[in-house]
Amino acid sequence: MIRVEGVSKRYADFAAVRGISFEVARGEVVGFLGPNGAGKTTTMRMLTGFLPPSSGRIQIASQDMHEQPLQARRAIGYLPEIPPLYPEMRVERFVDYVARIKDVAKSERAEKVEHALKACGLQDVRRQVIRTLSKGYKQRVGLAQAIVHEPEVLILDEPTAGLDPVQIREIRDLIRELAAKDGRTVVLSTHILPEVEAICRRVLLISHGEIRVDGSLDEVKGTSTLEDVFMREAGPRVGEASA
Amino acid sequence: MRHVGDIATRELRSFFSTPVAYVLLGMYLVFVGYIFFANLGVFLKVVQEIQQYGRLDLLAEWSLNQQVIQPTFQASLILFLILTPLLAMRVFSEERAQSTIELLLTSPLTIWEIVIGKYLAVLAMVGLMVLFTGFYPLLLTLYGNPELLPVISGLLLIFLYGASLAAMACFVSSLTKSQAVAAIVSIVIGIVLMILGPVAEYTVVDSAQATLRYLSTQTHMQEGMVGVIRSQDVMYFLGFIAFSLMLLRTSVESLRWR
Repeated sequence: MIRVEGVSKRYADFAAVRGISFEVARGEVVGFLGPNGAGKTTTMRMLTGFLPPSSGRIQIASQDMHEQPLQARRAIGYLPEIPPLYPEMRVERFVDYVARIKDVAKSERAEKVEHALKACGLQDVRRQVIRTLSKGYKQRVGLAQAIVHEPEVLILDEPTAGLDPVQIREIRDLIRELAAKDGRTVVLSTHILPEVEAICRRVLLISHGEIRVDGSLDEVKGTSTLEDVFMREAGPRVGEASA
Repeated sequence: MRHVGDIATRELRSFFSTPVAYVLLGMYLVFVGYIFFANLGVFLKVVQEIQQYGRLDLLAEWSLNQQVIQPTFQASLILFLILTPLLAMRVFSEERAQSTIELLLTSPLTIWEIVIGKYLAVLAMVGLMVLFTGFYPLLLTLYGNPELLPVISGLLLIFLYGASLAAMACFVSSLTKSQAVAAIVSIVIGIVLMILGPVAEYTVVDSAQATLRYLSTQTHMQEGMVGVIRSQDVMYFLGFIAFSLMLLRTSVESLRWR
């Protein structure tokens, strides 16, 4: 469903991502791990077509992101780190607007908007102005805009960052539900390790712009804990100054 | 191009979901109305005095067009210079500040759809202000008989001027996350373009003078204000708009790198 081949991203004289390759099959739920500044967000932005890679190829649902950007983007639902919301809009109108720009056919639009609102538990606040919602509800609206066009691939950048424990559990349940349905492919970035264990079956660990670990959760953990693996692979490297 | 309407509609709604648009449009109505009635007052007083002194031969030189409508239009140009940037300042800088630009650029939209959609929304606001401007001369037709051709050509020129400012201000808005910076820079550019013409008169180099004069927005509005629509003036403004929109397109495209 997702194919990444030798993708690099350089900013001026800094290489944020260095020639990473991986594949994600249909229906997989992948936890994308790494310390802050490891290249998680950069990689996700490249997957969604927001950032063009400096080199390498990205394919989403067998569409090349560079050659057929519109088709590839249509297959993606994306929740960035900061949910992209218009504070002055009402929830329902916002989700409807996103459905329009995501090419949802007119005949299906009302139904899909309804479905997204329901799936994210937003029916009770549908008439509310987004500015007035709590952070947890804003995150739900962020998820609703990511799923309204029923994309094959869902890319979530730190979906639980900044939420309280109750909200975190709600959003996690929601993601698990969304992933289980229609065999959707999910890539979820986080640096919260229990989150990965709660939601994902496969782990990708990126550090210093390189993929260090790629495997199923059990395989990666082996006999140690995920935290041990994380510290071993993503901790400061010998001979390198830790910031 | 089928998403242009979606983008423009959302943008227009968002104009009216805050008081900003109402305040700006209200200010415009009040100022233009004040200038109109102030000029009309002076006009009526002068006409009255002329009649008192029996110098009816002077009446021919006093026309509603010259004494009332033209000054009102001139003043409305200044108001456009300030208000258009204030209307357009948020269209891209706000998207950048609240990171909704990420939503737009990861949706199956072309850059042109985004650019044209946003521009049309600002253009609709400019059109609304031009309609407001046209309201006052229309009022005069109830009581007097001003020449209509200069009114129409004046309004057309005001619209072209506003449309040019809108395109330029949209471009400036795409360069920064700060709406205030966008507004100030656009207003300064507008002022510079306006005074290039008068400045040109002090230039000694002939070719430089001609160039400066050509670039100035002022040069291209003088004739239109008195009722002469020249194709070179229309071409100037259309070229200005096209050029600004090209810059805007490039700028929005490059947001992916910034």
